[in-house]
Amino acid sequence: MGPSGSLIQKAPRRRRRKLTFDYVSFMAVFLGLPLAIFLIFVISPFAQAVYYSLTDWTGFSPEMNFIGIDNYVKLFQNSTFITSMGNNILLAIIVPLVTLSIALLFATLITVGGPSHGQVRGLGASSFYRVVSFFPYVIPAIVIGILWAQIYTPSGLLNGILTSLGIDSAEGFAWLGDERTAIWATIFVIVWGFVGFYMVLFIAAIKGIPAETFEAVRIDGAGRFRTAISITIPLIRDNIQTAYIYVGIMALDAFVYMAALNPFGGPSNTTLVMSQYLFRTAFTKGQFGQASAMGVVLAVITLLFAAAVFTVNRLTGGKDDGGRS
Amino acid sequence: MNIENVSVNRRNILRGAVAAAVLIPFSTTLASCAAGGGGGGGGGAKGEVSADNPFGLATDTKIDAVVFDGGYGTDYAEFAAKILEKNHEGVTAKVSASTQIGQELQPRFVGGNPPDLVDNSGAGNIGFNTILDQLEDLTDVIDANNLEGDKIRDTLYGGVMEPGTFGDKFAALNYVMTIYGLWYSKSLFDENGWEAPTTWADLKDLGAKAKEQDKYLFLWGKEAATYYQTLAIGSAIKQGGDEVRLALENLEDGCWSKPAVQDVFNAMKEIIDAGYIKPGGSGTQFTQAQSQWSLDQSAILYPSGSWIENEMKDQTKDGFDMVGIPEPSVDGNGKMPAEAIHSEAGEPFIVPSQGKNVAGGKELLRVMLSKESATNFAKEKLAPPIVSGVVPEDGFGSTALVSQTNMLDAAGENVFTFRFVNLYGMNQDQLPIWNSFLDGKMSVGDLTKKLQGLTDNIRNDDSVDKIEVK
Repeated sequence: MGPSGSLIQKAPRRRRRKLTFDYVSFMAVFLGLPLAIFLIFVISPFAQAVYYSLTDWTGFSPEMNFIGIDNYVKLFQNSTFITSMGNNILLAIIVPLVTLSIALLFATLITVGGPSHGQVRGLGASSFYRVVSFFPYVIPAIVIGILWAQIYTPSGLLNGILTSLGIDSAEGFAWLGDERTAIWATIFVIVWGFVGFYMVLFIAAIKGIPAETFEAVRIDGAGRFRTAISITIPLIRDNIQTAYIYVGIMALDAFVYMAALNPFGGPSNTTLVMSQYLFRTAFTKGQFGQASAMGVVLAVITLLFAAAVFTVNRLTGGKDDGGRS
Repeated sequence: MNIENVSVNRRNILRGAVAAAVLIPFSTTLASCAAGGGGGGGGGAKGEVSADNPFGLATDTKIDAVVFDGGYGTDYAEFAAKILEKNHEGVTAKVSASTQIGQELQPRFVGGNPPDLVDNSGAGNIGFNTILDQLEDLTDVIDANNLEGDKIRDTLYGGVMEPGTFGDKFAALNYVMTIYGLWYSKSLFDENGWEAPTTWADLKDLGAKAKEQDKYLFLWGKEAATYYQTLAIGSAIKQGGDEVRLALENLEDGCWSKPAVQDVFNAMKEIIDAGYIKPGGSGTQFTQAQSQWSLDQSAILYPSGSWIENEMKDQTKDGFDMVGIPEPSVDGNGKMPAEAIHSEAGEPFIVPSQGKNVAGGKELLRVMLSKESATNFAKEKLAPPIVSGVVPEDGFGSTALVSQTNMLDAAGENVFTFRFVNLYGMNQDQLPIWNSFLDGKMSVGDLTKKLQGLTDNIRNDDSVDKIEVK
């Protein structure tokens, strides 16, 4: 995520600057140093991972042999890895969509969804809702995972509530142990943990839209839903795009939640994610080469995901609608 | 965030290409330096070899030990380290705890500066097939005398060398005897007049009796579903003998279809279908499931290793009187007697050859194997170390420990074990399969096919070093 700044203006032809000490030292500190840190700590480990993924390194000895793309071939013949990749892709599709839809809905209600007389405002007690829905985000992810794992146990709170409501089939039902429900129960937990934060993010963005805009819309006779679709979303488009990429990257990782809810991949590996499988391959099976290959695949998928979000945003007219940068 | 305003044109693409070209040599040099280990280590200073110092530990050296901090903690190793420091002037022995051995020590193994002694245990342990050639052979430790002057080899239980022997190298000294079996509450069984089961038929009858009391025969937790695999394999080996054991150990084609294995699976399936296993285990955290057995007693038997008593110490009902029995055989006419036990020494201690003080690592092991340290371990942990005869009659007041010692004595030489699951890191891949099977969602045929698939994959993967078991 680079700093925002528009590069549309044609720069006039520059004359060569004199290399004064001030100029050079400024460049070195403000350009050279960050670039060096970036190269050393981001680019070079990634390049190393790519290199290791072409070797048969076990991870526990300095010896390694170059074996070309064998690891990748093996990876795509490995049904467990394909399963975990599928799970990740499912998460990347569903989690951002659901999380951000709910966050946007709440944000709208809290900022502009209030009474339709007087000035444009949110629901009553909206500051209370704002604080309460932010709570889950304050709790560390691992704690959220452990908490929900307890709620979901067959003799846990959820089944207790359901059976007291007269749903007898919930008696002793293993939410995280049943192939049909494990991944959905997990998705619910991730969404629950993130909605509050993105709601607050969207509230801040909506607050940045001048109130006159909403008043004008109301005078024109638009309802709340129409306002949200035609005004709010287009005006905070960039925030939504950024949030989408963030949640997507989180969903493609999802390691922490999975480790707490179903450390070993869940029923028939329905909740196994790539990062979990990568970790297992590296540290319990001692196949660092293979694990590096998984890491490279995961990185490529993440980049493709980000590219897809940008593309969709652009195709739906993100550029001309004058999204605020 | 206006990335879309950056025009993609020929010039930018060329710039990118140049940058990439500049990076390639840069990255390869870096890549080669990360894994390229320094030499270092390799024995370190040598001291005078004598009766009190069989490995020639040099004076004024440091010993660096890393011990897995799990069910047994690390204080027993510190206890031995203090004795060692008393015996050797100027030597300091540092014991560090770790819960993730593989993760924490991986960089040290690659960098060529591993610790002098490692307890390679726990879920995050290092697969032996990856570091075998970097380990010292520990035969000289076994052949040395302990601090009391007896030959260490003569003080140990039978079968303690096998789990640490890979090919023809005795690379790991497993310190604690682990006995696998079925564990139950003696007081509960006596109260109801139930007999301890010895065959799968007995188990099924017991299931029916438990049902009458609104109890289940078994229960399980999702992270520990493979305890039932351990039980099944143990039973099958008792029935079919070495033929079954070696087929599984050496990842043979069709090893899961051997009659003995299939008989056990079918017996298990009958028990599952009869509803004698508490449902919902695949969604229950394993310690929670175990407390339903030890505290609520909603199930009457639990298949596990002897660490179970220590693990559930705070969540066991008063007057539970935990005792263990060997894994049942299929019908009582197996190749091994009913007293045969699946036992193996656990907590594998290894001495890396690259360590700075190999003699120190071995010396610390020698101290741990002496009577004083071994007795301290048994007393503190209520588990028998591999040194025999350190547990008194009353087992320090632990019924489980007494029953373990009895099982060991009754079994004599009839002790077996299998290691392929840990050797090839298969447990995590097997867990989902067993969770489904115990849930009643899988037939014996499917179970066999899936387990065989995993075995076949490893057998056919050339990148995995195989260790032949004889």
